[in-house]
Amino acid sequence: MRSVRVIFLLYLTLIALGLGYAIALGLLEH
Amino acid sequence: MPRWLKDNGLSIAFGLIFLASLAGQAISGHGSVNHEAALHQGDPISFWHYVTSAIFWTDVMENWQSEYLQFTLYIFATAWLLQKGSNESKELDRVGTETDEQQLLGDHTKRNSPLWAKAGGLRTTIFSNSLLLVMGSIWMLSWLAQSITGRINYNETQLDHLAAPVSWLTYITTSDFWNRTLQNWQSEFLAVGSMAILSVYLRQRGSPESKPVGAPHSATGTEG
Repeated sequence: MRSVRVIFLLYLTLIALGLGYAIALGLLEH
Repeated sequence: MPRWLKDNGLSIAFGLIFLASLAGQAISGHGSVNHEAALHQGDPISFWHYVTSAIFWTDVMENWQSEYLQFTLYIFATAWLLQKGSNESKELDRVGTETDEQQLLGDHTKRNSPLWAKAGGLRTTIFSNSLLLVMGSIWMLSWLAQSITGRINYNETQLDHLAAPVSWLTYITTSDFWNRTLQNWQSEFLAVGSMAILSVYLRQRGSPESKPVGAPHSATGTEG
């Protein structure tokens, strides 16, 4: 289950980074 | 094949084709933007400028939001709406959130049930809806991101044509925002509806998305 947990966290991290960057970009360029 | 790869084939394969497609989108999108600039005697922009720009991220976010909306709705709708004969549906007598016995809750938890399933109270309520909560949050955040990056592009075009820029509240009522949103939604809803109804009469041997090949068309919610 260790490798499964690593990929679960990798997916969540990737999604959070994408969302975080896009929202920050929108707010900063505003 | 190493054990970790065999255990995670599905999520690794989709993660890789996601990254490859995103890279392809960045390369072709950059080419497209510079082609457009050349046609209008504008200056080309660098690849790095493009992939960090609102133009690229609006395109990424508008597709993300529609996919996460699709799954959020599907998770919610399949608890309450059924389709006779569909592998995507539960059996017809299991509509709703089901009993504790069916959901292995309360007195029916097992030794290896997750901690928050055994905890009871608020924690179990949250855990019981955690997939919907997380997928729904990703949908709403990516839709928000689409709207605030989309507004930047919209205002740049407005200024290029000597028109007034708009506020965020105005942008979310524009035809640009809703055209970008609904063109993605319509395709998701058609695909989901198709999966629900096509799986009644069609099969894919070996796929859990299909009934077993020999299962009758009338069988509802039997994984193959």
